[in-house]
Amino acid sequence: MSGSALAPKKKYDGIREHRPETYNDYGAGSRFLEEGFRKKCLKNADRSFAQGLQCQQINSINALQSIEDSVFISHSPQGCVGCAALGTMQYRIGQAHRGIRGNRTPKVIVTNLDQKDIILGGEKKLREAVHAAEDRYHPKLIFVFTSCASGIIGDDIDMILDELQDEINARLVPIHCEGFKSKVCGSGFDAAFIAIGKYLLDKEKRPTQKGLINLFAPVSISYKDQLEIERMLNQIGITCNYIPFYSSLDKIQNITAAEASTAVCKVFADEFMKQLYEDYGIPYSHTVMPIGMRNTDKWLRGVAKIFHKEAEVEAVIASEHKRIEPEVEKIRARLEGKRVFICGGTGRSFAAAALIDDYGMKLIGLETPTYDIDAQTDIEYLNGIHGNFVVDIANMQPFEQVNLLNRLKPDVFIGVPEWAAKLGLPTTHVLDMKRPTFGYDGLLYLGNKIADQLENPGFNKKLASHSKLPYKASWYETDPFKFIDNSVWKD
Amino acid sequence: MSVVTESARGACVLGGINDVLSAIHRFAPIYHSGPGCCMQTCAGEHNNSGFLNSVSLPSSNMLEKEVVFGGEKKLRSTIEGAVEIIDADAYFVLTGCTAGIIGDDVQSVVSDFRDKGVKIYAIDTPGFAGDSLFGYEAAFKALLDNIVEAGLPKKKGLVNLFGIIPFHDPYWFGNLEELTRILERLGLTVNTFFTRRQGLENVRTSSAAELNIIVNPYLLKKASEIYEKKFGVPSLRIPGLPIGATDTTIFIRKVGEALNLDQELIDQVIADEEDRVYSILERTGQSLGYNRFAVVGDPNFAIGATRFLANDYSQSPEIVVITEPQYRPEDRERIVKQLTTLEYARSPEVVFESDYFKITQALDRHPEVDMLIGSSLEREYASAHDIHCAVATFPIFDKTILNKGYAGYNGGLSLVEDVFNFN
Repeated sequence: MSGSALAPKKKYDGIREHRPETYNDYGAGSRFLEEGFRKKCLKNADRSFAQGLQCQQINSINALQSIEDSVFISHSPQGCVGCAALGTMQYRIGQAHRGIRGNRTPKVIVTNLDQKDIILGGEKKLREAVHAAEDRYHPKLIFVFTSCASGIIGDDIDMILDELQDEINARLVPIHCEGFKSKVCGSGFDAAFIAIGKYLLDKEKRPTQKGLINLFAPVSISYKDQLEIERMLNQIGITCNYIPFYSSLDKIQNITAAEASTAVCKVFADEFMKQLYEDYGIPYSHTVMPIGMRNTDKWLRGVAKIFHKEAEVEAVIASEHKRIEPEVEKIRARLEGKRVFICGGTGRSFAAAALIDDYGMKLIGLETPTYDIDAQTDIEYLNGIHGNFVVDIANMQPFEQVNLLNRLKPDVFIGVPEWAAKLGLPTTHVLDMKRPTFGYDGLLYLGNKIADQLENPGFNKKLASHSKLPYKASWYETDPFKFIDNSVWKD
Repeated sequence: MSVVTESARGACVLGGINDVLSAIHRFAPIYHSGPGCCMQTCAGEHNNSGFLNSVSLPSSNMLEKEVVFGGEKKLRSTIEGAVEIIDADAYFVLTGCTAGIIGDDVQSVVSDFRDKGVKIYAIDTPGFAGDSLFGYEAAFKALLDNIVEAGLPKKKGLVNLFGIIPFHDPYWFGNLEELTRILERLGLTVNTFFTRRQGLENVRTSSAAELNIIVNPYLLKKASEIYEKKFGVPSLRIPGLPIGATDTTIFIRKVGEALNLDQELIDQVIADEEDRVYSILERTGQSLGYNRFAVVGDPNFAIGATRFLANDYSQSPEIVVITEPQYRPEDRERIVKQLTTLEYARSPEVVFESDYFKITQALDRHPEVDMLIGSSLEREYASAHDIHCAVATFPIFDKTILNKGYAGYNGGLSLVEDVFNFN
């Protein structure tokens, strides 16, 4: 898909559920899902029982936390900066990998709404926090994030910040990311990008810089992955404006100088890239996450096409294949025929499913948070290779996962290892914030990692014999989709 | 009461409640809250990982519909599911900001289930009521109101060891294990609620204890009053984590006195432990250097570390910043007293401050400091000012801690290893 895609009729409001034909709770066979989606007969369901999700505010904060010269204000009670600790850790790791001395912590201020503020409003504390941010650090940017509490009590942060802007040198950027507005955490990325578009980009496009691409990447991308992406693109003469990680106001404003845009994740900046096309005429490539041979090829071809470098990219792809194929062969010998269950975010889960094909592994189950037209494209391709497999449309929901794993008994589990490990399964994580996962080099790294853990599963096996998951024995005998309306398990 | 805070240390009430409940084996918290509260409150508390944690916690994930129409129906179906699949001995419903603001009647939903015989209890202190320290107190109140049983006969030699917060104290597990080890040498049986897979039975029968030993200068004031009044269990407050030989020996003597233990046994345990500690410490010689140091952290650790490094290791304390907010003057006084009654060393300046920026301003007043013991947040300050930094207080981002501790005789040795590990 490229910039010529149909423009949305109405401006996107940042809530993923509001996009047409999007499903977040479902359990079915992959063929049934493909068919149902095509015939538009899937019903939007819900879970009557669920485990915790990830709110959009988490993603909004984490998306921006590494931007230079910025202070982040969470207009919320103290608990809503919990995940800022995760972002902080990622930021520190990122700095260490980038060789930055004097590791910095993102400056996060919480207004700390309490009982009194819930009744009287939190405006006074918000003003105090903004002034503190300005006086302490003289930043270029102050981002203000809303929360469930500030949203329900009705604090009008746009108005407050608008008034404050006269007294403050930093640009004040409100991000509307109230947790209760969306169950899809990806909405939080959209909220951040909507604010970037509205408050930070100039109305006029900057003069186009030849060969420059906006590379949108989420927090979970390691520096090694950034380097691999840049290496691959440099080979066809493209340079990257890496956004928003480890970027700055200037880099953000330079978004409009790019010749094109792309993202490394299907659900990251996809709506923003559409907006950039509409507002500035910047074309984009929206394909896949570059994990595994097929996806990497596809991703590269998508980018090359907008730059009219089809011939150059074919040469690069051919030489990369030649370089790594002998290595892939060796790994395939260790993995061929193994049965795999995958759980991941929307981008990673499908990317991992494509990756295992490089090694001749067989997909038997997939957990992914959202099902939409993009997912349909992936499922059509995967059904062609693997035949029918189980799909659980779930953001984690470990109780369903362990029920399914216990039935399907895969040889390998790919995803967050915490629960599968206690069932004694070999586990591999493909979301690695420290090591490579992308591109041709990432393919080898991940393949070896899966094979090594399959070869040496000692820890999980021993753990399983000493540790018990918190579920009743009867749960494993029950329909894993029992709590999802409209879904029934069929063996 | 809460104030604007930069780099707040810890989550909200829910985080503190979950610190306690998830550390008790087979206790299941159920969140009646927004969709991110499970993850936020766990990430904000060192990713507390007990029986249930983070995205494993049952949650009603309240969205716009529940905000507008009320969330009691969603809560009901969430509890039904949790009780059906989670193999727990007790369930507790926690109240997020959303449920608290819109005023869902959590108590009445929960009593319907209790009428059917489910061991389920509502904790209706909402997220915005305070920080995780307040949550720690709220969790103890819930245990005392609902689980601890009155009228049990006293059990000789049984003590409860409280005051060390699971997960929020990065070294909680090791601290509890070491103090348990020492108390067991005195012939005691120890309830911690949180170690060795202790669970419902330990909490229920904690009223049979002869004594609560509260290792903390200020937490659990209310809980200790309830234990005394309702269950006849007196409390001994140890006003700061005992680290190293001097304070651990004082700890043993105080416990011995409170329980009237055999003096000969106490003397023998102390002599044996102290000799062992010095048989190890004597190997360090003079090679470890001499520092003027600052401590930034919770009062429990700050008191223990300052006293140990000053009294047992001849380092000079210059400034101690207490990062947990103190609301009662008596608690401030107790904390200051512990930090300023040192054997030989000069007293440090004691500052009460939770805001990161203001903490750095306090540190700026002490350019003579050449060693900083604090959290991962303080590492940035230390590296900018070229000060040796040991990360030992919450929050810690850069190491895995399983059961290492700083309490007791062994903890003093560990602290020396970590503080003088110049990397």
